[in-house]
Amino acid sequence: MTYVEYKMLNPMQKFGYKAKKFLVSVPKAIGRFFKAIGLGIVNFFKAFAKGIKNYGSTFVKGDWATKLSYLIFGIGDLSKGKIYKGILYFLVEVFYIFYMVSFGGQYIAKFGTLGTVETHTEKVGIVSKTVFGDNSMLILLYSVVTIVITVVVFAVYISNIKDAYKHQVMRENGEKPTSFSHDMKEFLDGKYHITLLSFPVLMICVFNILPLIFMILIAFTNYDKAHMPPGTLFTWVGMDNFGSLFNLVEGAKKGKTFIELTEWTILWAILATFSNYILGMIVALMINKKGIKLKALWRTLFVITIAVPQFVSLLLMNQMLQTNGALNVLLSDISKMFGGGPVEIQFLNSTTLMARATVVIVNCWVGIPYTILSMSGILMNIPEDLYESARIDGASPVKTFTAITLPYMIFVTTPQLITQFVGNINNFNVIYLLTGGGPTTQDYYQAGRTDILVTWLFTLSMTSQDYGLAAAIGILVFIVCATISLIVYNNSKSMKDEEAFS
Amino acid sequence: MKKILAILLAGMITATALAGCGGGNGGSSSTDSKSDASSGSGSTDASAEKVVDANTVDPELFGDEDNISLKVWAPSQALELVKKQVEDFKAAYPTKTFTNIEVSAMAEAESGTQVLNDASAAADVFGFASDHLNKLVDAKVLSEVAFVNTVSEMNAPETVEAGKIKGTLYAYPETNDNGYYLVYDKTVVSEDKAGKLEDILAACKDAGKKFIFDCGNGYYACTYAFTAGVKIDGLEEDGVTQKFVQYDENEAVKTLQAFSRLMHEYKGTFTSLDVAQIASGFSTGTLGAGVDGSWNTNADQKALGDNFGAAKLPTINVDGTDKQLISLFGYKYIGVNAASKFPASAQILAYYLHGEKCQEQRAEELGWGPSNKNVQGKPVITDNPIQQAIKQQSENACVQVNIAPTFWNPMGNLGNKLIADETDPEDAEYFSKLLKDTVANVRDEG
Amino acid sequence: MIKSYKARRIISNGLIYLLLAIMGIIWVSPFAYLLMHSFRLESTIAVPYLVPQEWTFQNYIDLFAGAGSSSAINFPRWFLNTFVVACFSCVISTISVLAVAYTFSRLRFSARKKLMNVAMILGMFPGFMTMIAIYYLLKAMGLNQNLIALVICYSSGAGLGFQISKGFFDTIPRALDEAATIDGATKNQIFWRIILPMSKPIVVYTVLTAFIGPWCDFILAKIIMGDKRELYTVAIGLQSMTSAEFINEYYKQFLAGSVLVAIPITTLFLIMQRYYVEGVTAGGVKG
Repeated sequence: MTYVEYKMLNPMQKFGYKAKKFLVSVPKAIGRFFKAIGLGIVNFFKAFAKGIKNYGSTFVKGDWATKLSYLIFGIGDLSKGKIYKGILYFLVEVFYIFYMVSFGGQYIAKFGTLGTVETHTEKVGIVSKTVFGDNSMLILLYSVVTIVITVVVFAVYISNIKDAYKHQVMRENGEKPTSFSHDMKEFLDGKYHITLLSFPVLMICVFNILPLIFMILIAFTNYDKAHMPPGTLFTWVGMDNFGSLFNLVEGAKKGKTFIELTEWTILWAILATFSNYILGMIVALMINKKGIKLKALWRTLFVITIAVPQFVSLLLMNQMLQTNGALNVLLSDISKMFGGGPVEIQFLNSTTLMARATVVIVNCWVGIPYTILSMSGILMNIPEDLYESARIDGASPVKTFTAITLPYMIFVTTPQLITQFVGNINNFNVIYLLTGGGPTTQDYYQAGRTDILVTWLFTLSMTSQDYGLAAAIGILVFIVCATISLIVYNNSKSMKDEEAFS
Repeated sequence: MKKILAILLAGMITATALAGCGGGNGGSSSTDSKSDASSGSGSTDASAEKVVDANTVDPELFGDEDNISLKVWAPSQALELVKKQVEDFKAAYPTKTFTNIEVSAMAEAESGTQVLNDASAAADVFGFASDHLNKLVDAKVLSEVAFVNTVSEMNAPETVEAGKIKGTLYAYPETNDNGYYLVYDKTVVSEDKAGKLEDILAACKDAGKKFIFDCGNGYYACTYAFTAGVKIDGLEEDGVTQKFVQYDENEAVKTLQAFSRLMHEYKGTFTSLDVAQIASGFSTGTLGAGVDGSWNTNADQKALGDNFGAAKLPTINVDGTDKQLISLFGYKYIGVNAASKFPASAQILAYYLHGEKCQEQRAEELGWGPSNKNVQGKPVITDNPIQQAIKQQSENACVQVNIAPTFWNPMGNLGNKLIADETDPEDAEYFSKLLKDTVANVRDEG
Repeated sequence: MIKSYKARRIISNGLIYLLLAIMGIIWVSPFAYLLMHSFRLESTIAVPYLVPQEWTFQNYIDLFAGAGSSSAINFPRWFLNTFVVACFSCVISTISVLAVAYTFSRLRFSARKKLMNVAMILGMFPGFMTMIAIYYLLKAMGLNQNLIALVICYSSGAGLGFQISKGFFDTIPRALDEAATIDGATKNQIFWRIILPMSKPIVVYTVLTAFIGPWCDFILAKIIMGDKRELYTVAIGLQSMTSAEFINEYYKQFLAGSVLVAIPITTLFLIMQRYYVEGVTAGGVKG
């Protein structure tokens, strides 16, 4: 369709055309995504093969020091006069050996079984003393630590060999290794990214990635109420936990719960995201309309919600929505004014519809202020000349809005919309603090009608101690969220024209 | 010999009182009689335990432990008292050096979880509620009681029995009062009406006041199932699946229907709210009666003053017969951490804190119901109507030990469904299915 | 024509004022309720009317006077703990976020795109189960039951939230960097002397969000602190006041404590609001 043809369509058709275009692009984007993943895997193996080849050929070509670097870190660098780097490499090896002997080795050795020695009791004098055996959880955790450290040390090992060979070649060419101060200066300029990233990456590795790997591995174990360390051991069970989530046999509650909670989670994420977005935009437009005074005051009224810690405002909301809470008291007062009786609406714990509507509305109360803040800023940033020319063309306010304001806002905020969508899939606080998952039902396993996957995961790990199952759910939620965001970000305007402003 | 007979008799009486509810340890009567027998023959063993009196033991039991440093967890309202008791404990063993005995606040409902999270950072001696017992024992973080025979002799047999798993006593009995009972405003509900649920509700409705029973919380809502005959009976062999007694389904459904009928008949009076709302309901005069936990007694009493009434749970009329409401009733224990660095000292301290003197102090100062038989007979308990109400209720209760972690949510759902507006109390089929689903969910079937 | 246009505008503006006023009331009323009832004398949790009958400062006094080293409730100490943790974690978080954002926005290196993708999805894992792992990791480092542990926890993942700051940096013209490079400035100097001084809004935004975090978390902090009540933060403390053990006695103090927590954050927010809006806008447009 050409531009002219498009311009001649009526608004409904235009919308239909755009919607169609969007829907068509989705499978393409997904296709691209999986292609990228596939390519990534292929490239990884290619690089791996190349690495092994280089590993061998470097050894053949290396002099004595480079060859010795295959065993002792840093020898190559030391022999070529790159003292500080050689010492650092050597220290890494010393540290690693020390670590493995004193700590890591004993855990990694039991990684395959997650422990075999049962805890038992012995009688000593008057007291029976518990002799603790293997603790499967600690074995798993410290094995993960050891594996991560091993991977890092392996990378250092490879870099040590490469560096040794590099310096060997440099010597053969009669070059001198760079000085310490030169290298340090390089870290403030050419290699500045390493300087800046090293601290955050270290923290993220230790406190995000390590626990994450741990949790992913838990999903493949039978860590549950019957296998609780330190008293009892747990072990690998393969895909069993995933199996029970996708068990759709009649009467299998976990499978049913998983499917239905997934549906509600997605519905919830859509409702929560769009209600916030649309209402927030309307309020922002009202506040920022020309001729409306006291803009700062209006904004401030809404912003207080952000400033009060969420758990406080939500606990308060929970109290206010009880049958004897403030809202029912208020409604009763109003009803009495008109000669009615007391009102006792069960907002949180009666029908599915009522409870779900309540959480969505309260979520608006929590979330709209954020939308207002960001939208206000965007509205103020719409180039004034766009409006100017519209006014000259004699466009009505409605026309200006639909032709300029709305498209601009939607264009600019799409990435935010996706972030919020993913955020709402993981929106723990609102559901947990407000309804705690209720209304309850006998159809689900340890979940209620407003439970979303993350709150169910929380109940499973905190109340019924099904850690393995909870971890499996965590992985599935993660895969969905990660896929959505990767697709959207890598296809989003801002990612593609990253250099636009530069 | 008379004493032994008395113990045996008492044990048998409780065994019948708890029949069906089965007590804790798998509930089989054979283990009961066996353990009783061993404690009987153990009167000689008791002296072998080198116990000096109801509070202290022979100091040589400390063994080579000296410069002792321990940590104790007590709930915050008992903190000051336990600190004082710890000082007394130190004074009772003048030959020993105590570097530091730290007492810190930890709710009894929470201590079990904390110990399970990291036993090595937890207290050496800690109070906990009986429903954590099986989890703690499974995780092997509890050390067996060192003075079994003496402890069994000193304390009420039901408390001792509930502290045993597979015949081994794992914790020192601390209280005998961890449950819920009826609290009411005497100006609304007269004493003679407090016996029947129907009368209580009618009285509350007439006065325009409410009756609070937390149907959404499995801890209270399991009363409906228990009263209907669907009682728990420990755990299955696997140690995690809840076992139920054989129940008459027809009768059970009828009882549930009777509850549901009352709730709907007294809609607006019978309200399901958190028990924390009871005290404020009394103080604002909106509440006539409620089912509240023993730990809220002080707040309720403060709100009502002289008009505070306490009684065992009422009866409910099912097809013309009045059925007593069966509650969940637990005990509190003092446990010794198996990872303690001073295991003998920890045992001796736990023995002291569970002893007669400490229990009496707690009864006097905190109003906690003792498990010690001597203290139970003292006027501070026998003349206290609240303690008597709690005691009566404990005779109509399932013991809160060996509860599966999957128990609470389905039971809360059962309560919610009974009171839900859209439930039709006359639909017997619905209740039959609800009951089956509840039992299946508790047992994690499917 | 003009007259009717004016009339229409007055009517529409009037309607907007009315709507805004109603919504304003809805948004503020829970806090008005919180404030009022924190001064309530009678009853414990609920009252069957909206405005307290008797007013008192007692709840606030109890909150502070009831505190002692032995007491289970030690609000002043918790407040101080939270403030200290918030300050430190806010500094570390801000540095991390800005460093990561600047790196991804301005520096070009081989693994850049891949790292950005990984960073984006890492934060999406529901983290409840990782908490126990974090606890044991901290313990292995000898940091459990320690305020430093909290600072680490709250600031460790900060680098993952770089998107908005990166979006902001992206809007700063690259010509500036290039000119500076020609003048012989290193990347380090560009970051500190050129980019940062121009980034006041986004720095304020980052500082604010990082500062608020520790006041809100009550799950992870609880697992780390265990029985060390004197090291609790206000969030765990306030949450524990609403537990079954304390709620009857402490609910009104919980309300008072909530007000006291809200005051510093609200004040900060109101002062910094302008920058916050600028930051989130500029960052959001590109982010």
